[in-house]
Amino acid sequence: MSKYAFWPGCVARGAAPELYTSTLAVAEHLGMDLVELEAAACTGAGIISDGEPYLQDVLNARTMAMSEQMDLPLMDICSTCVGVHRLAAEKLRDVDYRIRINHHLAPEGIEYRGSADPRHLLWILLEDVGIDKINSLIKRPLEELNLGPFYGCYIVRPERTLDFEEHPTRRNSLEHLIEILGATTVTYDGMTKCCGFPILTTNKKNSLTMAGTHLNEAQSKGADALVTPCPLCHLNLDAQQPDAAKVIDRNLNLPILHVPQLLGLAMGLPPEKLGLTRHVVDTNRLLNKIGV
Amino acid sequence: MAQQEFIIDRYNPDTDESYQESFNVDVQPGQTVLDSLNAIKWEQDGTLSFRMSCRHAICGSCAMKVNGQSMLTCQTQVDAAAERGDPIRVGPQGNQNVIKDLVVDVTKFLDQFERAETWLEPYEDQDPPEREYRQKVEEFDHWSHASTCIHCGACYSDCTVAGVDENFLGPAALAKAYRFVMDSRDSKRDERLKFLSEEQGGIWDCTRCYMCVQACPKDVLPMDAIMELRTLAIEAGHTNNHGVRHHKGFTSGVRKRGRLDEMMLPIQSVGIGRLITGNLSAHKEMMDYTPGAIRLLKTRKLLTIAQRHGANAEGREQIERIFDEVEAEKHHHDVDADAFGAEFETAIGGH
Repeated sequence: MSKYAFWPGCVARGAAPELYTSTLAVAEHLGMDLVELEAAACTGAGIISDGEPYLQDVLNARTMAMSEQMDLPLMDICSTCVGVHRLAAEKLRDVDYRIRINHHLAPEGIEYRGSADPRHLLWILLEDVGIDKINSLIKRPLEELNLGPFYGCYIVRPERTLDFEEHPTRRNSLEHLIEILGATTVTYDGMTKCCGFPILTTNKKNSLTMAGTHLNEAQSKGADALVTPCPLCHLNLDAQQPDAAKVIDRNLNLPILHVPQLLGLAMGLPPEKLGLTRHVVDTNRLLNKIGV
Repeated sequence: MAQQEFIIDRYNPDTDESYQESFNVDVQPGQTVLDSLNAIKWEQDGTLSFRMSCRHAICGSCAMKVNGQSMLTCQTQVDAAAERGDPIRVGPQGNQNVIKDLVVDVTKFLDQFERAETWLEPYEDQDPPEREYRQKVEEFDHWSHASTCIHCGACYSDCTVAGVDENFLGPAALAKAYRFVMDSRDSKRDERLKFLSEEQGGIWDCTRCYMCVQACPKDVLPMDAIMELRTLAIEAGHTNNHGVRHHKGFTSGVRKRGRLDEMMLPIQSVGIGRLITGNLSAHKEMMDYTPGAIRLLKTRKLLTIAQRHGANAEGREQIERIFDEVEAEKHHHDVDADAFGAEFETAIGGH
């Protein structure tokens, strides 16, 4: 059984509980053993580092040190978390900087040795679980569905921290997953752009214009739904969708799925177990299309 | 010699017609996308228009979109741009009006530098030096990455904020502003930080999407410069804005519970002080959150938000200790400068 140090991130334990429950459901089905990092802190999401970059690095060094101490690979389920973890890991390759940071971890009896390789569930599905195993568990191929990927910035940029050269499937990880599950990928300009969520409270109009533009583009290209590895994107694309529609003055009705929800559907898990009833944009039309 | 197909965005201003046109080009190993555009212009269609000059990634004229991403075409080899034998798509820069084919009107991009006054403002009470204005090597080393900009516009072209907001200063002008904020010869550091904090389209409008860092052919790291400007602006006391309130609210939530507090953050971003003093626009901002909150209530998400899931007790204790230690250390030492130093070194040197 493959075992992971599991960092759920804050939003999966708050405004996106369906991401948390669907992750656990899918992991159980795949035989993954997830050990949740209950004592870990928020990654800071790039927001703590607006004013306190050093503090953010200490918090993330601590989380990565925990996974080292458990001798388990670190798994994130949020594009922002994995990106921020990897940016911290990059900075902490500097030995002098790591020594300074480790002073703050010593009282807890841990030390970050610089070996963490934080990965998103999406990458782990492709790299550890593998296509064959996923294929063998598909009960309900999603052939009727046209799905738009929506990545979330930090799982595609900056490329220097993401090891795309060594792991080429990471560059198009969502397209790979969509195709493995039998669905058709709808590509569109906005799929690797910003959803707007980081500036929702600072510049609502810009934020919702971004979300609305991408949603409208994917919808007019025939997407039945979008699938995203980022719960922050999910908040702007799903929970804010009615407001985004007003800002860009278009009718929008595009369900947004989390990665484990999509996989769970294909593996035949019941929609309630995947939290598909807790979305702002109704998922029933989508479920009808695949005969659920 | 291999053949490569190019699909090029064309625009004819005389007829106001936009279309795509395909060209096949014989390519040699090592041939660049710009070489190929020249081959098309010289051998197939002399009307194809694009900007170019030095062909050595110095002048910044030939930035265009190649397969959707902005880059210098003189620095991009055909082999690197062609995926699995697919055609290479070449288009004009984004976020600016197209004049003809691959040529855009760069006025809007260049105007932002003027708006941010990105030139040296020396101390007026000092006599000009006999030779040049000097800067210490170690000072220059800290911001040298931001001085390598060649104004090619690749970052502005791919900027997700510039795409929705004409008013945004944009990554290049903000990185250049950072360069002067950091320059010890410049007398306007504080005015600059104030302007960049308060101006519509300033540092707090950036989404941190990393498009500019990815697009920049010169490792200017514009977004990193914008992030450091935020820290410097907060330290300089320019804190009366939504961005800083969001940062402070977010950080205080993590201090208390170890996790983001989604319950309190919207209120903190609007500003508890503004709400108490009856600031009308603050109350309107709060009202704007109501429809969203009702939707979260209907989907029962407000329940999990209200539970305010935190780190476990042991974790919270450690997290609070770390916050206290870093705070105390701050008074002794400029720790954030060290953090940025490590980031720039790894980002520039390590790759």
